[in-house]
Amino acid sequence: MKAKRIVAIAALAIILIAGLYSVIFAYTNIAKTYDGSDVNVVDLYNNPTQYDVSDPDGVADIIVKQNLEKTMAANNVAAVVFDFRGFDTLGESFILLTAIAGAYVILSKSKKSKKEDEQ
Amino acid sequence: MKFKNGITEKNVIMKCGADMMLPFAVVFGIYIILFGTVSPGGGFQGGVMVAAAAVLLYLAYGYNTAKNAINTEVLRVGEACGATMYVILGLCGLFVGANFCRNIFFDNGAVGDLISAGTITFMGYSVGFKVLTGVGFLLLLMMSLLAPDSDEEEEEE
Repeated sequence: MKAKRIVAIAALAIILIAGLYSVIFAYTNIAKTYDGSDVNVVDLYNNPTQYDVSDPDGVADIIVKQNLEKTMAANNVAAVVFDFRGFDTLGESFILLTAIAGAYVILSKSKKSKKEDEQ
Repeated sequence: MKFKNGITEKNVIMKCGADMMLPFAVVFGIYIILFGTVSPGGGFQGGVMVAAAAVLLYLAYGYNTAKNAINTEVLRVGEACGATMYVILGLCGLFVGANFCRNIFFDNGAVGDLISAGTITFMGYSVGFKVLTGVGFLLLLMMSLLAPDSDEEEEEE
């Protein structure tokens, strides 16, 4: 029992140290690639075709342009959820269906068993 | 305070607050579903907001009134209908000759119109209807466990 506990503590400590080291390494040595502070949202929405794409912040421009060309939806999140990732949304909604079916089975059974206990 | 017809009246403040807030909650949730492709929001969020109106009904008037006001059978069937509608709208892309969930007939109207996004709009509506009915049914199911004397009154009827 004691040996198991020592091994578990050692493993957790190693994982913690590795995680801390990787966080410090990433924070100090790796340069930032995308920071949304430079995106001019008003310009982007008024005229998405003539926005500066030379720096990484132009990624937002590409996303807006491609969405308008392919789906013509003003809300990009809705376009991604229902068009580009339609299968994902299908799975999500069926997870909800399954969860409600399971809750119905469990809760209705507990109701019945209550009645039986009273009798 | 209990009446003979099974309606239990709760606190007056809760009742007046629910009476005032319930129409706004329902209308705002339906607005979020309908304008999911134009403004922030969508089917999931708006559906849960409409379903939360059942909680307001329960808080103000008790379980029996909420159960009498909302038909749970319709909710249970409606959830399956919403899921089927989503699958059918997703299969529309296959009939055109593209992949599953492909957006079709999206060239009508300008950007920002309600149905300019083609099938995305109607898929959002089907998901909203499905979440509305499913979460409403789930909330009514959970409320039935919170009401201890509901079974006895049902037997009396």
